[in-house]
Amino acid sequence: MNALNQTPVPSPCISICEMGPDGLCKGCLRTIEEISQWGRADDDYKRAVWQDIRLREQQIGFP
Amino acid sequence: MTLPSGMHVFERGWLSSNNVLFTGPGPATLVDSGYVIHAAQTVALVEHALGGQPLERIVTTHLHSDHCGGNAALQARFGCRVAVPAADAANVRDWHATAMNFHLTGQQCPRFTAQDTIAPGDELLLAGQVWQVLGASGHDAHALVLYCPTERILISADALWRNGFGVIFPELEGDSGFIEERATLELIDTLEVDLVIPGHGPMFTDVKDAIKRAFNRLNFLQASPVRNAENAVRVMLKFLLLERQQMLLADVPALVASIPLMETIRTRYLDKSNDELAEWAVQGLVRAGAAKRDGVMLRNYDL
Repeated sequence: MNALNQTPVPSPCISICEMGPDGLCKGCLRTIEEISQWGRADDDYKRAVWQDIRLREQQIGFP
Repeated sequence: MTLPSGMHVFERGWLSSNNVLFTGPGPATLVDSGYVIHAAQTVALVEHALGGQPLERIVTTHLHSDHCGGNAALQARFGCRVAVPAADAANVRDWHATAMNFHLTGQQCPRFTAQDTIAPGDELLLAGQVWQVLGASGHDAHALVLYCPTERILISADALWRNGFGVIFPELEGDSGFIEERATLELIDTLEVDLVIPGHGPMFTDVKDAIKRAFNRLNFLQASPVRNAENAVRVMLKFLLLERQQMLLADVPALVASIPLMETIRTRYLDKSNDELAEWAVQGLVRAGAAKRDGVMLRNYDL
């Protein structure tokens, strides 16, 4: 999904919702702070988080 | 959309409900606690936002597993008080009927205890603001929503989403539900609301449009009640798929057969065998982009 182009920016949550030992959710790859802030965040913040998610995917080697 | 200070919204997916945390002033309070398998993350989110302060109260809008599934874990962690709808208090105390209700839809929820009850007409002080407790029967007979007239915010649980509302479960068991949901939407329509925090999905400000869409949806369902039943079947299978993330296609018929409400719907509304119902449900989810067939597996998917 190209989340960066959508308005409003969709949530990365895929209902796995389990924090990993690296401080990232195993499902959406967000930190607790990012998940916590998402509700009150504007689209700029959300797009920045999505970009960080993409970087984390590459680092972890997600397909 | 700015939230008043002391108020946090955790937007979860479609398995766990959204959670609204009031950190203060006053006793820290959480409205709705998500589904049991996500309880650890719910506790982590609450701990993170409270920064060492204890959670003192939980408010449960209605006794569905995706809204009260974190109550037990949060009570164990914080020793907080739980408030449930007054009409459900006896069932929560005994638990037997409550456990049966969860079993009806193939869902799970650990037992918790309630120390307080709330009822339509009550007022709650949350982060220093007065919130009104309003009856919101329809999706669930005893469901409640919370309204803050000063901030013009509505915590709508499953009575109103940006696009629609939750399955009208009472109708599936031979009770009235459409009339009640209509009354709930009409009540919400009379309120001055700038921001709705729904039970699932993002918060939204196009409130009047959402209400209009909800009325259209309700008219559609009420015109032919089998539609509500068909929707319920797809929703229940999707819920299981969200919970498990994947399942063997070959296991779906047995899974459907094990869920009492699926059987009730099948015999009351649909002229299908159990296996036909299972295949129909799978096809419906795949067509809607909510699931994917992958060899022998059925996998969760979201567009």
